[in-house]
Amino acid sequence: MTLLQAENLSIEFQTPDGVVKAVNDVSFSIGAGETVALVGESGSGKSQIALSVLGLLAGNARTSGTVTYQGKNLLEMQQNELNSIRAKEIAMIFQDPMTSLNPYMTIERQLNESLEQHEGLKGAAARKRVLEAMDAVRIPDAKNRLKAYPHEFSGGMRQRIVIAMALMCSPKLILADEPTTALDVTVQAQIMALLKEIQRESDMSVLLITHDLGVVAGACEKTLVLYAGRVMEQAGTLDLFETPSHPYTRGLLRAVPNIQDAVGDLRSIAGQPPNQMVPPPGCPFAPRCENRTEQCDRELPPLVGDIRHQRACWRPVEELV
Amino acid sequence: MLKYSLRRSLAVVPTLLSLIIICFFLMRLAPGGPFTSERPLPPAIMANVLERYGLDQPLHIQLWTYIKNIVFHFDFGPSFSQRDYTVNDLIAAGFPVTLTYGFWSAVFVLALGIPLGVVAALRQNSFWDYIMTGFAIFSQIFPNFVLAPLLVLLFTLALGWLPGGGWNGGHWSYIIMPAVALGTSYLANVARITRSSLLEILGAPYIRTARAKGLPERTILIRHALKPTLLPVISYMSPVFVYMITGSVFVDVFFSTGGIGQKFIDAAYTRDYSVILGLAILYSVLTFVLNLLVDLAYAAIDPKVRSGLK
Repeated sequence: MTLLQAENLSIEFQTPDGVVKAVNDVSFSIGAGETVALVGESGSGKSQIALSVLGLLAGNARTSGTVTYQGKNLLEMQQNELNSIRAKEIAMIFQDPMTSLNPYMTIERQLNESLEQHEGLKGAAARKRVLEAMDAVRIPDAKNRLKAYPHEFSGGMRQRIVIAMALMCSPKLILADEPTTALDVTVQAQIMALLKEIQRESDMSVLLITHDLGVVAGACEKTLVLYAGRVMEQAGTLDLFETPSHPYTRGLLRAVPNIQDAVGDLRSIAGQPPNQMVPPPGCPFAPRCENRTEQCDRELPPLVGDIRHQRACWRPVEELV
Repeated sequence: MLKYSLRRSLAVVPTLLSLIIICFFLMRLAPGGPFTSERPLPPAIMANVLERYGLDQPLHIQLWTYIKNIVFHFDFGPSFSQRDYTVNDLIAAGFPVTLTYGFWSAVFVLALGIPLGVVAALRQNSFWDYIMTGFAIFSQIFPNFVLAPLLVLLFTLALGWLPGGGWNGGHWSYIIMPAVALGTSYLANVARITRSSLLEILGAPYIRTARAKGLPERTILIRHALKPTLLPVISYMSPVFVYMITGSVFVDVFFSTGGIGQKFIDAAYTRDYSVILGLAILYSVLTFVLNLLVDLAYAAIDPKVRSGLK
């Protein structure tokens, strides 16, 4: 059953220098209990997609297309209708636990305010739920840390608090925007394992936004690869890793360092993403692509193929370098 | 917190002491003295007068006597120019006046400035925002010595609503104009600082987190944004508070309030050593007390500062 469906979602920003097209024509769906990954480098628009779902885009953003949740288009919802969905139905885990917690409020207050808002829960009942959530994300000595402030926790602990915050009202969908990027590697692994475990137990759906293919491999059923605000390839995660069919996906996979041939240079994709103020007429990846033809520079390749594995590339898979 | 306050209070003693010493010698360096006049007094009378006030003693003895009297008797000495008055008397008469209108001026500044800034930030680039910005600019080009006469012209001479000067035991009608004249330019600054501070805070990631919880905007503003918004306002107000409750010399003189600013001016003209010294000490003690209060207010708002105090 589809929980969330985005169709032809486009997001642009009005800036003093012109219109920046951050996301173009992106479609995807998330089923109940499913984990979908949005992968791409910085600036590919992946975070903006998550923000648009909850109506949290900056004031100068314009959206088009639809994001349907329970039959309603989230993009056209009124503020108070959105507020009843935020945290209760769809919650978000933000990227940087150092800045996404309010430094002037106690942990308990920041955790219980969504309970108060959505379930009218206060006092002892609310505290019980807060402690449960803190236990669920393994914050040690939770009882004595209720009145602590964010700066009294380490980065990893703060991210656990951010996760607990998203779990408070048992939402059906969690948008996890690079939940481990700001953390060091060992803590990253712990947090990802924690997320997976919580998801298994509660049957939530997750939209995982990341630039780290290593994170995706173990965690997600479906993966969308974004480049310059467009979907380049989408497939089941295993399928994508076994038969990457877009030059960009292949480039990304090649750039993942391999422990076996650790000696030598790190691989990268040469070049820079295009200027999204004046996008090139053809494939956005063409300027950096080893397989480029004249057609690639001229025309935008559509996303085609079997619904289980789609790609946006003019060149047949067999011909790719 | 109490321990911190005590520690801070102790640390102020050497500061005060050096301040007294510096002021003491600075004043003696200024030409003339409290009893110099165009027609010199006969030497015998002069000697009598000097002896009466202890000015015939060597400087270091004078200083020592002065400090001793303050510490043991809380006596700041007699006024040199106003016979039969001590410095304690003069401060007791003038300070309550400036404290009263200074306090109301601060209330006026904060109670109006903060809401104005908040409205301007929430309605950024709207009519109200422009009104506020315009007001801020106007109050800068109308400092209190321009504003005060204008207020008197309007409310005393034209409309006849408010008395144009005097104090009358601190009746409210006598407080309004000094308080407004003293506060207006600070009011504009407070509004401006509140506006830009709130705008910055509203863009912070933790405000987005609060929005993602489905909280109404009003709750976000009051619960999440207000405290951090006020931090720069508090920093700004710290020296302003001192200035306000010690009174503006101009406001005191213009409205003839009998406040302490007027006494400072008079004392400077007449080389009234003890009054100047007494007022300097009063100012610095107030500065210290208010700085401490501001630091404590900071600690009350910011948990990071609070844990630093422990």
